Amino acid sequence: MGPNVFLSLRNITKRFGAVPALNDVSLDIGEGEFVCFLGPSGCGKTTLLRVIAGLETPDAGEVSQGGSNLIGVPARLRNFGIVFQSYSLFPNMTVERNIGYGLACRKWPKDAISPRISEVLTLVHLGDQAEKYPHQLSGGQQQRVALARALAPKPTVLLLDEPLSALDAKVREELRAEIKDLQTALRITTVMVTHDQHEAMEMADRIVVMNAGVIEQVGGAVDLYDQPVNRFVAEFIGRMNLVRLSATKLSIAGERSDDDPYVGIRPEHIELIDVTAADADTLVGRIEKCVFLGSFTRITLTVDGKRLLLELRGRRTDLATGAALAVRIPAAAIHRLQDAPG
Amino acid sequence: MSSTAAATRLVPKFDTDRIAVLALVVVVVVPLLVFVVAPLVGIFKMSFVTADGIGFGNYVRYVNSPKFAKVVGNSLAVATTTTAITVLLAYAFAYAMRRTAMPGKRVFGSMALLPLFAPSLVQALGIVFLFGRNGVINRTFNLGIDIYGFWGIVISDVFYSFPHAYLILSAALAVADARLYESAQVLGATGARIFRDITLPSTKYGILSATFVVFTIVITDFGNPMVIGGDYSVLATEIYNQVSGQGNFQMGAVIGVMLLVPAALAVIAEKWIMRRHHATITERSQPLMVVRERWRDRTGLAFTAVICGLIAAIVLVVVVASFVTLWPYNMHVSLRHYRFEVQNGLKPLWTSIWVSLMAAGIGVVVSVGAACVTRRLRNLAGQCLYFLSILPAAVPGMVLGLGYILVFNDPSNPLEALYGTLLILALCNVYHYHAQGYLIAMTSINQISRVFDEASTSLGGGFIKTLWEVTLPIIASSIISVGVFFFVRSMVTLSAVIFLVTPVTQVAAVSVLLLDDAGNANQAAAFSVCIMVVVALALLLFRLVLRMSGRRNVLLIH
Repeated sequence: MGPNVFLSLRNITKRFGAVPALNDVSLDIGEGEFVCFLGPSGCGKTTLLRVIAGLETPDAGEVSQGGSNLIGVPARLRNFGIVFQSYSLFPNMTVERNIGYGLACRKWPKDAISPRISEVLTLVHLGDQAEKYPHQLSGGQQQRVALARALAPKPTVLLLDEPLSALDAKVREELRAEIKDLQTALRITTVMVTHDQHEAMEMADRIVVMNAGVIEQVGGAVDLYDQPVNRFVAEFIGRMNLVRLSATKLSIAGERSDDDPYVGIRPEHIELIDVTAADADTLVGRIEKCVFLGSFTRITLTVDGKRLLLELRGRRTDLATGAALAVRIPAAAIHRLQDAPG
Repeated sequence: MSSTAAATRLVPKFDTDRIAVLALVVVVVVPLLVFVVAPLVGIFKMSFVTADGIGFGNYVRYVNSPKFAKVVGNSLAVATTTTAITVLLAYAFAYAMRRTAMPGKRVFGSMALLPLFAPSLVQALGIVFLFGRNGVINRTFNLGIDIYGFWGIVISDVFYSFPHAYLILSAALAVADARLYESAQVLGATGARIFRDITLPSTKYGILSATFVVFTIVITDFGNPMVIGGDYSVLATEIYNQVSGQGNFQMGAVIGVMLLVPAALAVIAEKWIMRRHHATITERSQPLMVVRERWRDRTGLAFTAVICGLIAAIVLVVVVASFVTLWPYNMHVSLRHYRFEVQNGLKPLWTSIWVSLMAAGIGVVVSVGAACVTRRLRNLAGQCLYFLSILPAAVPGMVLGLGYILVFNDPSNPLEALYGTLLILALCNVYHYHAQGYLIAMTSINQISRVFDEASTSLGGGFIKTLWEVTLPIIASSIISVGVFFFVRSMVTLSAVIFLVTPVTQVAAVSVLLLDDAGNANQAAAFSVCIMVVVALALLLFRLVLRMSGRRNVLLIH
């Protein structure tokens, strides 16, 4: 978190009819921080963003910015910049007028508007597109203009609602880096909603993993990957094998022998060993499936009727379906998870 | 931050935005109450006024009169017969247009809409010129056909209501999921079976909607029964006879309520059905490609050509009749009927144009305003406004017009000054057709993503600013078409304004009726032609304006 709490959400609850969207959510966001709300669709991440924006009013809870309560303040008066998923540029206005719109609404002096438009257009590398209409631009350019439009009135917070999800994969990656660089340069407090873990891991200072209207875990990409608190986080970020502790042929210090909890193991942490060198810690299984995925190969191994996923670097032509394979799970790869699988 | 109860609240004391919304609500709702609800209340009240005080006396007297069963029976007979014929013909017509590969679709499609742009009694006028006592058929072949009465009204109303049914059914048949038809073919279904099992079920909502719309149009139609009904009395003409003929307002009000009931039921049924109608077409649907099929296409072509020929013939007869010395005795070309030496000369035409321009202006503001406010309110208040806005669809023109006399010809009403002015004619037309104008605006506003509203809000744009700079410019073409709609309707409508015109404020459509009533059919025809020319010019002008402003493909017909 940044040096000071800038945005504070306290016990936010929101229902749509009988459907609960947010259930008692609390979160502090620091000044200049880039926070991502990550989760599957319907987890409440967009609703939470819209509550911050003032586009939804929570049924209960408080939103405050720098100590001022924001509940009851219309979105119009919050001076937060928002970039929506897509098609939010006013189709009847040129790029220039789209960007100038917020400045005119916020009563900027006339002679300050035009320089500011050029400034933000240069920021998003579209200095030469001012006269164009949205339909004349590509999807990536439209989202850049939307970003410029949101930034133009110098908002105190930038809110991004899945801004890249409608774009092609290549453009998406370009823009990810661009937005992150821009945010770092401007040091603007930013909240982004996404369902793409890679996007969140690449861009965010802190990731807020959400599920079914509650926050499951908050932390940096490394924390979430290395120390997921529960099965949901473990399986949502990266892949995770879930097995009984006994199946790993390992024991955890301090654990009672009759207790056999579920533990998680990342597929890339499982080590391949020579079948001939097998010892007591070795698991021997048969290769059920072997999939080449470019920089790594994913293997589905069956050990005593249970499946185990392995990810090995590079292309493995030596491993064929049906072959026997011996593996070992290092003690350090074991993740204790709070909840047992349902 | 419960510890910071004293934290500065940024909530403004007076949110200017709320005031703006509230102001627009008032601007939209108050006139709806004054010009729709009050006249309806007036008519209900009047229907209970009897010589011995307030009571059901009028109803009892009317229901017990022998005339009651006959008039109600006549109205229902005409309405059901016409509805059955129209929907059948329009379905076949729309099917030929949408599901065959026949040539000439553009021309036929435009011709089918011709009756929308003619005064509502032109059909009857044309049929009288052809089959009437002094019609060209009877005179030439000496047949002695008596067209006045049931069949005259039915035939006229079939043509009068045809475009409405066609538009609905054409829209229903325009959408189809090719995948369904392909699977049926692969499974070995024959053409007839595919029609019965796929086409018909997928257009059933369109058929039901068209049925109720046509029923409403026919049962409330006044112009055609007036011209061709003879002694065959229907509810709409009966109101007129009671009020204008006998000065019996109470009885007029009773019949008005009687007419209101079936019309309202039909409208409610139609809205209810359309609400049940969930989209059967999804974004994954494949559009149906019509392939050539010789006999089917030729049958379709022959059928549409015959229907269009009849529609055109009726209008053409009226045009020809206006240019001959004395139809059908002296067929020499003459311009004498265009001298308009009676009844204020050509002044009613100018009055009509002026009233229609006012109606277009006011209609655009109130119906688009109502649509904008409805979208903004979203909640129960929005639903109430929606109901109030489409309420006029259920009110027959005759009933609304009579309600206007009852309310605005009352010295105790501060708005009495409106009575006898052109403004009240314009307002009457606006609120008579408010539902349709509102629904055009509503449809196009609902096509605008809410993201634009939210983007504008987050950038600091208020309600009015968003409306003015974002919403309205996006739907500009629809706004223009709402204006055109009100203009055209006001030019051709007869029923609502018939009670409100004075000798000074007479409008063209009423002139046609009065001229025909006075036995001057040729001049009535000439006046009708003038109305049609004005409408055609207006449509042409708007087309031109739209084309010059770079907007194409705008629907001017609804």
